[in-house]
Amino acid sequence: MVEPSLVLYGAPYERAMAVLEETLRETGARYALFIDRKGFVLAHKEALWAPKPPPLDSLATLVAGNAAATQALAKLLGEARFQEVVHQGERMGLYVDEAGEHALLVLIFDESAPLGKVKLYGKRAASALAEITEEALANPPKLPLDTEYQEGAKALLDELLGN
Amino acid sequence: MSTINFANREINFKIVYYGPGLSGKTTNLKWIYGKIPEGRKGEMVSLATEDERTLFFDFLPLDLGEVKGFKTRFHLYTVPGQVFYNASRKLILRGVDGIVFVADSAPNRLRANAESMRNMRENLAEYGLKVEDVPVVLQVNKRDLPDALPVEMVRAVVDPEGRFPVFEAVATEGKGVFETLKEVSRLVLARVASGT
Repeated sequence: MVEPSLVLYGAPYERAMAVLEETLRETGARYALFIDRKGFVLAHKEALWAPKPPPLDSLATLVAGNAAATQALAKLLGEARFQEVVHQGERMGLYVDEAGEHALLVLIFDESAPLGKVKLYGKRAASALAEITEEALANPPKLPLDTEYQEGAKALLDELLGN
Repeated sequence: MSTINFANREINFKIVYYGPGLSGKTTNLKWIYGKIPEGRKGEMVSLATEDERTLFFDFLPLDLGEVKGFKTRFHLYTVPGQVFYNASRKLILRGVDGIVFVADSAPNRLRANAESMRNMRENLAEYGLKVEDVPVVLQVNKRDLPDALPVEMVRAVVDPEGRFPVFEAVATEGKGVFETLKEVSRLVLARVASGT
């Protein structure tokens, strides 16, 4: 397959979580997500004081779609990439930065977090996460997807979708 | 390629509904959303125009349950079928694990079916993939049309070699919808289990 499977666990996962936690503290953002380019959540962290986040799957999917569209736009304009994307509403804002070729950092913040800080620390976090991603891709773990898994999943499919 | 999150013990698969405009891709997802019980599905996201044509994609996460200690989830996407949205279609195919090709039974959509399949092959090629590399299920939809073409005629233009499993469907009534989803899911699981 062309698209490598990005799997985070063990030490790289713990380091990614530490980066997200530190970034939340430094920026004052509510939520930090580390997602792959396909729109799946690899790791996420919420500030202790933050209210319940919106559905993370939907969020990750939309951000990845948006990032893919932005990258396609950059190429149309002869740019290699537009590295960061910021959306700001009256109360909430969204910061997205590339964490290397295969993943994205997403920070969601409210009006109490200064945008300058979000961008500054966001960029630093994205670069740290890019390194972790490269490491994870270089050392893929053995996947538990054997025939036993397949049979178990098929039984659940029957249960959910009928025989 | 599936995404595995060891920390949360999750395995995620991406299934894309492809096909010409108005063939019923979004209708498939809406039916599934309506029938899957709460707690086994996430929110459905639709990026559509005012007249309900898909602009970018529809998205529906399904929770299969836990297998060998891993939560298994299927993320279902549709692509916009209209010809001029190809840039968006290409983006959605990134990282795809399985494809449902929804073909239209109407006689005047026969050519659109063929063109959409050709377009899918071209877009997969952009990711270095051949159609043989990805599990594909063919759904021949709108079987309730009074002038619906024979299934074999539709199949002849999109899958002349008869490689893909075929399901007849009337997605507006849910006929064939779950059967199609189940088959593509099984093919995806079989493929990852075989390690290819």
